[in-house]
Amino acid sequence: MAAAPLLVSTEPKLPQYQVVTPYKPADPRGVPGRYEGQVVRVHADKSIVEETEKVDPQVVRRMVSEGMKSLTGEADERDVWARFFSPKDVVGIKVNCSGAPNIMSCPELVADIVTNLVAIGLPPRQIYIYEKFQNQMNSVKYESYVPAGVNVWAAESQRGSVAGYDPGVHVEANFFGEEDTRSSLVRLVSEKLTKIINVPNMKEHQAAGVTGCLKNIAYGHFSNVDRSHRSAKTNTYSFIGTLAAVEPIPSKTVLHIMDGLRGVWHAGPFSTDKKFRFFPKKMMFGTDPVAMDRLLIDIIEEKRRQENAPSIFDRSKERLITRRSQDANVNQFIREPGHIEYAAGLGLGVYDIKQIRIRSIEL
Amino acid sequence: MIFLWLATLLPVLYWDAGPETAAVLQKAGITHIAVPPALESQWKRLKGVSTSVVDIKGLTEAPVPSIQRNLNEASATRRPWIDSNGWRFLREPKARFYTKAPGAAAALAAAEAFVFGVESFVQTDEAGLEPLRRMIEFLRQIEDLKLPERANIGFIDDGSEESGEIMNLMIRKNLLFRIVAAPDSSLDLNVRPGSKEYPVAGGFDPEATAQKIRSELTDARRFLRIYGSEVVIARIAGNQKQVRVYLLNYGGSSRSVSDVRLRVLGRYPRHRITMFGTPQVEPLDYVADTQSTELTIPKLTAFTVVDLLAGP
Repeated sequence: MAAAPLLVSTEPKLPQYQVVTPYKPADPRGVPGRYEGQVVRVHADKSIVEETEKVDPQVVRRMVSEGMKSLTGEADERDVWARFFSPKDVVGIKVNCSGAPNIMSCPELVADIVTNLVAIGLPPRQIYIYEKFQNQMNSVKYESYVPAGVNVWAAESQRGSVAGYDPGVHVEANFFGEEDTRSSLVRLVSEKLTKIINVPNMKEHQAAGVTGCLKNIAYGHFSNVDRSHRSAKTNTYSFIGTLAAVEPIPSKTVLHIMDGLRGVWHAGPFSTDKKFRFFPKKMMFGTDPVAMDRLLIDIIEEKRRQENAPSIFDRSKERLITRRSQDANVNQFIREPGHIEYAAGLGLGVYDIKQIRIRSIEL
Repeated sequence: MIFLWLATLLPVLYWDAGPETAAVLQKAGITHIAVPPALESQWKRLKGVSTSVVDIKGLTEAPVPSIQRNLNEASATRRPWIDSNGWRFLREPKARFYTKAPGAAAALAAAEAFVFGVESFVQTDEAGLEPLRRMIEFLRQIEDLKLPERANIGFIDDGSEESGEIMNLMIRKNLLFRIVAAPDSSLDLNVRPGSKEYPVAGGFDPEATAQKIRSELTDARRFLRIYGSEVVIARIAGNQKQVRVYLLNYGGSSRSVSDVRLRVLGRYPRHRITMFGTPQVEPLDYVADTQSTELTIPKLTAFTVVDLLAGP
């Protein structure tokens, strides 16, 4: 209602999206940001013990430190973080808890991010760790890892509540004749935060192909999104990028730290079955969510090859089933990893692997 | 043709037990009941509970309004099936209805009949007495504004089962219609089941028909949209100066819907919300622009009345 609708979709088979937002792009935007087409990968074999899944916070700290220094070229850690944030900012850390308590943005990593923000002068009360669903957040207990005063916030204290979303920023699309055709932005993002740090996991997703940076700032920021994957042919291909491009998300999201200590190679984004969990023991750092997600595809594909599971690009109908299964050779949906390249087309980053500059660090 | 809202009929508790149960009624605060003819004389002798007489054999039975969640069916929508009597009430507005609704569902049954303006008798169990009494009291306090019903679809009901199914889905989808004898050019859309546009022969798909009606009307022309819930059915009455929206929460007999967002066509800067079981309700994110009025209502109970007013 606050702004003239913008029609995004032009391709004939894609849904018609009506994007409503009063926010204009910042200059510069956080996405794809100052490190467009660049990704820093850090691997640390001792970051997590596979048998117990115990995370070593000291190793995590080193991973973050080295990764961020490499990304920015700064030698001093405070200078690294001051490149992105000032003490006046209200910073949101967008975690991913959809697989919690088995896989989530690990609290040791989130705690280290908070430590770095506080070190450059941000008061804890200006830091928000947030997700959509309260029950998922509760299972992680981030508050016990961070200083008093840091806010731990969820949009939906009760599932389905719309009060935590800003009706003035929404995307309208009728996918399958559903009555509620709106997805609205998490209110915290539009009304309070000045900067966002995106902390997704490394996961396969049964509908989207993978779920990394883009999906965490898209589906992780809007209400009523699971309607996009009602049947085998989903709308994730275009919906993820469309949501991720809605202002003020790309303007405010200035940093992505992908937590790949644990990963999910099948049946994601949840992780109810441990046999589909794996341990890349990696983190990725960047400002370009498309480039980072492009690399995520390779990580998931490699693991699936090792497990003799079909590629996430496999669209064969004979692998489609209607019920959840423990068989990695079948799936409920046609996966849409092409959503990442689609997002590149919306100006959210670099997809072409030849144009992505990768720096790898081994600890 | 203008239909005046008929929501002046208050539902009545139907009670087929004898006067020995009077204490149960009095404990729930019930002061009036409808009884079968055979019990009339016994109840007449009792003070404290007034009675009217009704023979349910002469009434049209309406199923208990409710929702059914199909948890065994894989679906991303989580849309439950709503059992609403709205289409029955619209088809037979002069019929007298009878609903057997246990527990808190009795309150929803009463509200549903009230909203659709039909005469209704509700039978319930002991657990349903108090909710039903409170709902009837609530309904009694709602001022009858005598506003014309708002609907922009004319439906030519031929009385067939197929027509009933289409009407049922239109009710559930909040596609606001009224039954017309012939196409009404003052309406945005007219639907005649069995016509070339809306065939009912061979492979009849009521869901597809309802979707086609929605598509042809377009969401932009709908008087009312509801976001945030698929278990709330609305009826709307009014004009350019004032609009009244009735919201029936079909999940409301078991739990409240957290919040819903309404979009009503037209600019109505002022509001008044009256909610069953809740003393005071203030909307969130109220926006009235030149095209529409939007507001979020927190914690919707079984029945809510939203009055929207134009002007400063």
